[in-house]
Amino acid sequence: MSSSSDAISPSLAASNSGRKEPSTIFLIAGAVLLAISTILLFVTGSEADPARNFSGWIVGVSFWVSIIIGMLFITMIWYLFDSGWSIVMRRQVEHAFAATPWLLVCFLPIIALVVLDPGSAKVAWTWLGHAKMSPGGHGSVEQDVLYQAKSGYLNYGALLIRFFGVFAVWIVLTQCFRKWSLKMDETGDHKYVHWARKLSAAGIPLCAAATTIAAIDWFKSMNYHWFSTMYGVWFFAASMRAGLAAIVLAMFWQSRRDGGLKGILKPAHAYLMGCIMLAFTIFWAYISFSQFFLIYSANIPEETFWYNMRELTEEGMKNSWFVISRLLIYGYFFVPFLWLLFYTNKFGWRIIAAASYILVFHLIDLYWNILPQELVGEHHEIFTRGFSIMPVDILTWLGTGCIFLWAYLKSSNQYRPIPIRDPRILESLNPNE
Amino acid sequence: MKTAKQENAPTRPNELLGPEMSPELLNQRVGDEARVRARAWWWWLALFATAGGVFMMFTAITWVLAKGVGIWGLQIPVAWGFAIINFVWWIGIGHAGTFISAILLLLQQDWRNSINRFTEAMTLFAVACAGLFPLLHLGRPQYFYYLIPYPNEMGLWPQFRSPLVWDFFAVSTYGTVSLIFWYLGLVPDLATMRDRTKPGLRKKIYAFFSLGWLGRDQQWKDYRALYFMLAGLATPLVISVHSIVGLDFAVSIVPGWHSTVFPPYFVAGAIFSGFAMVATLVIPIRKLFKLEGMITTRHLDNIGKVMLATGMMVGFGYVSEVFFEWYSGDAFEMQTLMDRLTGYYAPVFWTVIFCNVISIQALWWRGIRTNPWLLWILAGVANIGMWMERYLIVVTSLGHDYLTSSWQDFNATGWDWALYLGTLCFFFFLVVLFVRLIPMVSMHEIREILHERAERGKEAS
Repeated sequence: MSSSSDAISPSLAASNSGRKEPSTIFLIAGAVLLAISTILLFVTGSEADPARNFSGWIVGVSFWVSIIIGMLFITMIWYLFDSGWSIVMRRQVEHAFAATPWLLVCFLPIIALVVLDPGSAKVAWTWLGHAKMSPGGHGSVEQDVLYQAKSGYLNYGALLIRFFGVFAVWIVLTQCFRKWSLKMDETGDHKYVHWARKLSAAGIPLCAAATTIAAIDWFKSMNYHWFSTMYGVWFFAASMRAGLAAIVLAMFWQSRRDGGLKGILKPAHAYLMGCIMLAFTIFWAYISFSQFFLIYSANIPEETFWYNMRELTEEGMKNSWFVISRLLIYGYFFVPFLWLLFYTNKFGWRIIAAASYILVFHLIDLYWNILPQELVGEHHEIFTRGFSIMPVDILTWLGTGCIFLWAYLKSSNQYRPIPIRDPRILESLNPNE
Repeated sequence: MKTAKQENAPTRPNELLGPEMSPELLNQRVGDEARVRARAWWWWLALFATAGGVFMMFTAITWVLAKGVGIWGLQIPVAWGFAIINFVWWIGIGHAGTFISAILLLLQQDWRNSINRFTEAMTLFAVACAGLFPLLHLGRPQYFYYLIPYPNEMGLWPQFRSPLVWDFFAVSTYGTVSLIFWYLGLVPDLATMRDRTKPGLRKKIYAFFSLGWLGRDQQWKDYRALYFMLAGLATPLVISVHSIVGLDFAVSIVPGWHSTVFPPYFVAGAIFSGFAMVATLVIPIRKLFKLEGMITTRHLDNIGKVMLATGMMVGFGYVSEVFFEWYSGDAFEMQTLMDRLTGYYAPVFWTVIFCNVISIQALWWRGIRTNPWLLWILAGVANIGMWMERYLIVVTSLGHDYLTSSWQDFNATGWDWALYLGTLCFFFFLVVLFVRLIPMVSMHEIREILHERAERGKEAS
């Protein structure tokens, strides 16, 4: 990172043409890993918990999708606030946006599983299998009055429409922002910034709706009896944390590269990113605590079971999720909160450590939200899936990550590291320290 | 020398201050002219009209103290009625003040400098109005101090698990910090007023309250540090206060109240209604006191944008609530939903949707955001909409709870309206006094912007 006194001009930044990073290797690795994971998804699965791999797949892909969601929101916020300081970082986000359509492709194996046999025991969205036994002693799913009440929303056709609908929103928004910014590099026409601002205004409510629907469909509907109006907001908060952390890692990696952000990135950029990360750490805690606290206070069985699953076995003993639950409170809130509170921790390796740490805990948070599920055993006994890490989880997470990196690097190799002709680029290159 | 026409020339939408603004004109407009203008006939008319309303408020208070809360439309199961509706509404209005003065300060939004003094005062007046309702609603307001956890021989302790007790702590802390924050911001300007006032009682009062401010470097350094620290303290406070107000409802299991999204939804609603009140007050005062050079079209534009953004969040909350009441599959939640959509309270529900969701869509257009009178009308509509939203939440849920035989429709009495309208007049009465007695724009912060503008001009030349 260059010091604050090194004033830099856009032409100097644009003249950087460093070496290209290998990207195809990530594509090959990602394809191989996802192919193995797909085979495991379709072929394997324990008798007691055949849908475990399905849930693991959702964890693996959702991690990368949430990074894109967070990046998309922060990009729209930057545009709407006409933010000047952030422009040099925006191109890293636009490189990552190249991965959005590919994330849809990474999701397709589980959608294929749903399309081929919605009632399959391997599908974790139990409500799709009407003949399946409903957890909670309500008979089969189709006899379950709570399912009947929600069936207008939770049904096969609507699920597929919503699934492709939410991806359509994310893909259209990310590709428009990326394309316009790159076009502006070529033409220097500032109309693209005005277009992006207008799209951001419309995009925020659209993206809020898409994110909420994704959270309900992908995660919450696994325990379809449960409901919480806060859940979409939680996914937004979690995605923001992940997106911001990923931006910090990308910008610091680029700041060490010739042809990247070397000589461009200033301490002020890191500091301001640290401030936003702190704000969203608090916001995530506020949202998560509010949801827990209100359900705890009301103490209604229809709601409390969701938290009980994350603490207790059916016999009332502590289960494997108990430790994770505590870890999230202390590790995912207090530690990064106290760390980022200090001025010096918003620079250099300290903020890189914070960003990496947040991404690790984001994965744990997704595990905690997605995996625990009430299951019906062979003799109709109810049990909760415990914490475990399966090969499909690792393969999907790594495979999707490789595809994400491939798309990012391919774009990074091809285009300039900063939006050189943005009208406020000078402000960003020389921010107030 | 600029002509009056030039001084009041409309500014371009992106300007923080009018081109004619200078330190001298600032002192003149906010310091000297404001006091002269505040002796005009319309000021006296406003004072007497609102004083009449204040008399009505005290009459309503006296009567409720004499007769008890039975004079209101309260009827079990609707035990909260207007008192809590008004409390939530007023607290919400107070929010914009702290949002502007503290959160926008931390976000380095310079446009706040022209309106923060005004909105901080608005916060204090709104909190004063809000605090009145729970006290009167206690039934025995003379024992209000039971809310305070003090050691006593009766072994009486507050119920710490009740959000109403959290309200007491949250609102009193919020009120105290807001008062200190407001007063701290006033000190340099009171010193300016002291220096510009002729010797006499008024000068002595200004001198007393300006705490010996001389504008030395060290004073400014300490002042800035303290101001930012208070902004840091006020930020979580402003979020927590309305979150706790949201918890008043959401911790219970009353249909339509128990919704986990209530804390952030209430905060968004509070900022929305607060900004609507800011626009309601700022637009006429800007015109009457010729403050167009300080409160420019850019300020109106930004107020409109914040209203649009927070209104959309409130709209998201409505959709969420409606969807999850249906999705929960709970018969009572569904009943509450149907009551609101098609029942006795349907006109209220649809008015809320019109005022808080549909009408504000007009704010997508810059032409409407920067047109003072259109913005003023939309702000008034939002004020009405937010009050009705509180009405909808409080009354519809309580009126139709789990015991069908006890269902009651709520009808407010004249005393309910007298007290509500009385507090509205009390609020405006305080505003009318404020614009006469205290610098209504933060002069030292405007000087900062003027200084920066002058420096930029030098660099450019």
